[in-house]
Amino acid sequence: MLRPVVVTGVGVVSARLVGDGQALRRFLAAPPAASPRHVVDGAVLAGLIDGAEARRTSRVSQLALAATRLALADARLDDAGAAGFILGTEHGDLHSTIEFADGYLRTGPTGLSPLLFPNTVMNTMAAATTIAVQARQLSLTLNVRTVGGELAIARAARAVASGRLEVALAGGVDQHDPLVAEILGELGAGFEVRGEGATVLVLESLEHARARGASPVGEILGAAWRGLPTRPHGVGRRVDSTAITAALQEAGLEGDVIAWVYTSASGDRARDAWEEALLERALGPQRLTLASLAPLLGQHAGLGALRVATAMWTAASGLLVQPVWGGKAADDRTTALVPVAPGPGLVHGVARGGTHVALVVGGPP
Amino acid sequence: MTRRGRRVVVTGLGAVSPFGAGVKAFWQGISAGVCAIRPITLIETEGFRARIAAEVPDGIGGSTRRSRADRLALTAAREALDDAGLSSAERRDAALLVGAVGGGMLEVEGWYWARRRGRLAAGGGALRAILPGSHADVLAWRLGLDGPRETIVAACSSGAASLALAAELVADGVVTTAVAGSADALTRVCFMGFNALKLLDPAPCRPFDRERRGMSIGEGAAFLVLEDRETARARGAVIYAELAGHGMTTDAFHVTSPHPGGDGMVRAMRAALETAEAVPADVAYVNAHGTGTLHNDRIEAQALRTVFGEGGVLVSSTKSMIGHTMAAAGSLEALATVLALTHDVVPPTVHLDTPDPEVPFDCVPTVARVATLPAAISNSFGFGGQNVTLLFQRAC
Repeated sequence: MLRPVVVTGVGVVSARLVGDGQALRRFLAAPPAASPRHVVDGAVLAGLIDGAEARRTSRVSQLALAATRLALADARLDDAGAAGFILGTEHGDLHSTIEFADGYLRTGPTGLSPLLFPNTVMNTMAAATTIAVQARQLSLTLNVRTVGGELAIARAARAVASGRLEVALAGGVDQHDPLVAEILGELGAGFEVRGEGATVLVLESLEHARARGASPVGEILGAAWRGLPTRPHGVGRRVDSTAITAALQEAGLEGDVIAWVYTSASGDRARDAWEEALLERALGPQRLTLASLAPLLGQHAGLGALRVATAMWTAASGLLVQPVWGGKAADDRTTALVPVAPGPGLVHGVARGGTHVALVVGGPP
Repeated sequence: MTRRGRRVVVTGLGAVSPFGAGVKAFWQGISAGVCAIRPITLIETEGFRARIAAEVPDGIGGSTRRSRADRLALTAAREALDDAGLSSAERRDAALLVGAVGGGMLEVEGWYWARRRGRLAAGGGALRAILPGSHADVLAWRLGLDGPRETIVAACSSGAASLALAAELVADGVVTTAVAGSADALTRVCFMGFNALKLLDPAPCRPFDRERRGMSIGEGAAFLVLEDRETARARGAVIYAELAGHGMTTDAFHVTSPHPGGDGMVRAMRAALETAEAVPADVAYVNAHGTGTLHNDRIEAQALRTVFGEGGVLVSSTKSMIGHTMAAAGSLEALATVLALTHDVVPPTVHLDTPDPEVPFDCVPTVARVATLPAAISNSFGFGGQNVTLLFQRAC
């Protein structure tokens, strides 16, 4: 028997939004236009991390840590000892890996930094964060292209729903790096709206949240992740989604209840078209309103988690945040608030290579 | 937390190890106490103090257009699926959980080294496989696995974490079958990093020896097929063991050093016992994390003493023969634990000439031991204070 899972805290550190759940709600109520650049201001990040931590941790770890602290404060959760930590990422700390290798290439073995080496392992952001907030249950880093944030939320929801965890801190993080951008270009993803940042949510069983007097901002009604057959790095042809079916089944809902979806569309045209085809097959083509937050905040692993928090706001408010990127000119970029029926919606992501995530999200229970 | 949901059994085994491809070669090597740690041939080692590792020998097969780590993973996972005798229809809905760290870094390093040295950098295609998540996409595509797919990066406990999470999916009824394991190829970054940390022994590592001076690195892959017990029985599958419990904890103490009191290790082992509804006396053997570093071995021994009491179990380190295979360690050592149960033989700790008095356990020096093993655990501890314990029971 699965338990109801709610979100009680939100922490976001991104290029145009830094703050907790309240800051997110303000941002969504009057969203800015789409933007081509999504890099977190270094001074803003420095204001969220104390000096000693800044010296010890890399930038991407600081992004994860800052978002986690904001989420914990938002949830009014002082003790994270019983919490698990699940973080999605696409690139990890590739910046430190490059710096570590460059040390050797400059001066040989004497140029290697033992302090940088642990950052070359992709769980370094989770390690830095769990140490800082003293989260002592399981710690997982999930690596996947473009859908790491929503996968982490889905995995965390499952851990809480099954009773393995009472509290989970989950989300995603990525850092923009010039070499990463070049690599993405090599991978054929150069047209995507990329960005950086971290979003972390506090997930709890409803019972746990109520017992400590926390106020849920929304509920995860169903979550599932599956693979779709496609070549590695490729876009598939099959459009039957077992993930959406399983998430709806877990939520106890039929597909026709879902009228709006936050998708993982990011400007990768072949992948975006595949996602639309998956959604149309699963939920019906005419009645769906789709939106992607990538033009607003840039595609990064944290965005998947932010989509979940945004969907909770939409489920409660009946307003879908729909950025439009019409062309290169600034005038072509707008963000609309589209009225939709309040109630559950879908957060959906599919990555090149076929990892596929669906979350049915509702407002506060 | 007590045992929950469906019972999870192991029905397929696959490995590529420094003894070559196949579970048979792996078991022959570790049960005979053969050390596969030798001078490194895959990467340049000039100027480094430690220049040895346990490399997988030539002949792993597969397209050389794939990364070495992808090929290790594919070979091991294919063997596990074939061993389980799953039809393509049964594979289709199976979950795939892969523990990984280095991804296709070995090939990308070659490209990046050339580029930084101003040479025409061929091999940019290797970038496609740089991410640890590459292995899962390759395995899913080649082996027809369309169920839940995850890549877990938990440093040296990645492989064990993949098995633990797969067991949860089966126990919860999300899937009836899961393929889980891990892979890592030797990389320059890993070799240089552990050298920089001065954690490598210039000679083959000597876990639990008083004179131990550090670890040896290695590479490989192992995958296990996990199944709901009733489904496995219904289809007449060979059941090797039951994955009866697991524990996953975080030290929240230091990025590279374990908690000095072994707190997270103790909690992981106790959680594994609790989920298996077992008591310490049920466990006869511990396949230790046993890296051969001064602190890790001492702290793990302390944690074992806290959980099992002094001398309460047989303990051995597979790393003494195949080195620390990084992400692959957790699944290769889980495989060693399952094979120990099925053969009633404890593989030895080699190079253990002078037992450390701070390790008050029979660490099975040099020669394998015949012993009746109703249950055994496999410990994996990684950077970031990530602790995973798997508890396997004899199949029933």
